[in-house]
Amino acid sequence: MNPVSKKCMKLLQSAIVCTALFSVTAQANGPIGDHVNHLTDNLPTYEKEVHWLLEKVDGIVARYEEKGAKAAHSDAIVEHWEDVKFHSAIESNYVLIYASIWQGLFGVKEAIDNGLPASAVKNEREKLSQSLWQALGAVKMAATFQDKGLLAQVQTREGAPSNSLEALDQINVQLNRVVAKYAEKLNDTSVKMVAETYLNLFEGVEGELIALDANLVEDLEKDFNVTLPKAIKANASVGQVREIIAAMTSKINKASALLKEKANNKKDVF
Amino acid sequence: MQRRTFIQALSLAGLAAAFPSMSLSAFASARQNVSVNDLPKLEGELTLYLGRGEGGLYEDVLNAIKKRNPNFKLNIRRGPTAALANTILAEAKAGITRADLFWAVDSGAIAQVANAGLANALPQDIKEQFKPQFQFNNWAPVSGRIRTMPYNPKKVGNKPLPTSIMDLPNSDFRIAWAPSYASFQSFVTAMRLTEGDAATTQWLKAMKRKARKYAGELGVVMAVERGEADIGLANHYYTLRLKSGKPDANLKLAFTNNDAGCLVNASGVIALKESKTAIDFIRYLLSSEVQSYLSSEAYEIPLAGINPPPKGIPSLDEISPPKIDLTQLADLRPTLNLMRKAGVL
Repeated sequence: MNPVSKKCMKLLQSAIVCTALFSVTAQANGPIGDHVNHLTDNLPTYEKEVHWLLEKVDGIVARYEEKGAKAAHSDAIVEHWEDVKFHSAIESNYVLIYASIWQGLFGVKEAIDNGLPASAVKNEREKLSQSLWQALGAVKMAATFQDKGLLAQVQTREGAPSNSLEALDQINVQLNRVVAKYAEKLNDTSVKMVAETYLNLFEGVEGELIALDANLVEDLEKDFNVTLPKAIKANASVGQVREIIAAMTSKINKASALLKEKANNKKDVF
Repeated sequence: MQRRTFIQALSLAGLAAAFPSMSLSAFASARQNVSVNDLPKLEGELTLYLGRGEGGLYEDVLNAIKKRNPNFKLNIRRGPTAALANTILAEAKAGITRADLFWAVDSGAIAQVANAGLANALPQDIKEQFKPQFQFNNWAPVSGRIRTMPYNPKKVGNKPLPTSIMDLPNSDFRIAWAPSYASFQSFVTAMRLTEGDAATTQWLKAMKRKARKYAGELGVVMAVERGEADIGLANHYYTLRLKSGKPDANLKLAFTNNDAGCLVNASGVIALKESKTAIDFIRYLLSSEVQSYLSSEAYEIPLAGINPPPKGIPSLDEISPPKIDLTQLADLRPTLNLMRKAGVL
């Protein structure tokens, strides 16, 4: 493995561990099958699906090159992706790459729809391919962690956090899902998710948090209610939305540290 | 006299004189604190439906009760209060009662379940821990919150603050509100009950023209502190918490007089099954230790026994909330319809 690949794998490894520490509640568009809790058993299927999907995309790209956009049926790219089980395996284990896959899928689709030269379409296909293989690597690593009992059971139905720290973990997961949904071009869904994350999770935490750092809560209030929804509604790039969410995640982590510190010094009820 | 000065000037005797229609017994009660040390040990198993609220503080209370009672197992189902109330009603319709207890952050949800005949009667000694206005046959308030008007003293200056909530939209102040917020909707229900639908609709329409909307009431309080608005409408604890995290915050609290703007709402608990353990569990929630904890950590108003309110808020004897039976706040539908009709939702 070359040094760059090694560095990538290290980053990936730490990212998976971070995600594994969260109590993940999967909320895909469709139902998430129990296969996500048996990753190792399903790895051969996932790998076949990645090959299959890329073959399908190659077919679409080839048709575009030969017969033009209409014959290519670019809508099928997204349909094929939604057909594979691998879809929920990556969504429930590493949602950031999941977002990149959506970016890749739409990269190819939009290059075709906009009538770009075949070379540009192939360039987008390469980016998609990289995201898919990177995703498979992430799922393989997640499978290893799962086998060792280091990965939280993926809940296939929603669970409520029992304290503020769990709520903050769920907020981070939900925010990363917002990037994924935005990359899927589901702008209304993304805005709705931001609002729901604020109302159902952050609001339950901010009362406790504001007593510790009022400015931090004020910043996050603005992020949830102005900065992020405004960027989504203004059709900012996925990269820009990702940056806003990365900044929010960093603030959420700071909040988490403050609450942990407070928990250590909390007075006893009795 | 401005309301702020008015509150400061009130003494117990003065209050009774100022509000002759209120019974003196409300101010001179024989209530006593019950310590957790006087309570029986809990044994067996209970299932609690816990409406979400106050971050992990309710969980701290539950964990402390579990720790103190090693032979007691508590199963908890968590969720938004309104959703859990609907679940309890749906389960009852199907002939099932899964929960032994329901602890909700909002008395409206409690009343919804109690009014459906699903709550068991509480013993007299539990009722007697409360002031008369908080005594109910089949549910116990756990802690209270007061509707307030947080204001920015730098922006308000010497201008008199309204003492009637109905006058607020007629003032020159820039107002912040959060009409989608559950506590606000309970307050509108209280206004409907005290002022009638027509006056409430008129008030909402006038406020809509005047007020700036926020998603939540903490947002309202922060907007007032920043000076985006001069005055807002919010539960009391948001101001206390913000001031705790930012002691020099430009924020003070004002209270209206004997109207919905000063409503005292409560979280509450009901026993859904006949069970001595469930009743004893309720006694733990009403113990002076839990009441003091919720007051000092969550800035909630202790309602059982005689415990001081959190710092920065007058005691319930020093304000004049409307005389409303909290169980009347159960039915939100007419309120939501009215708010939609007024164009604020």
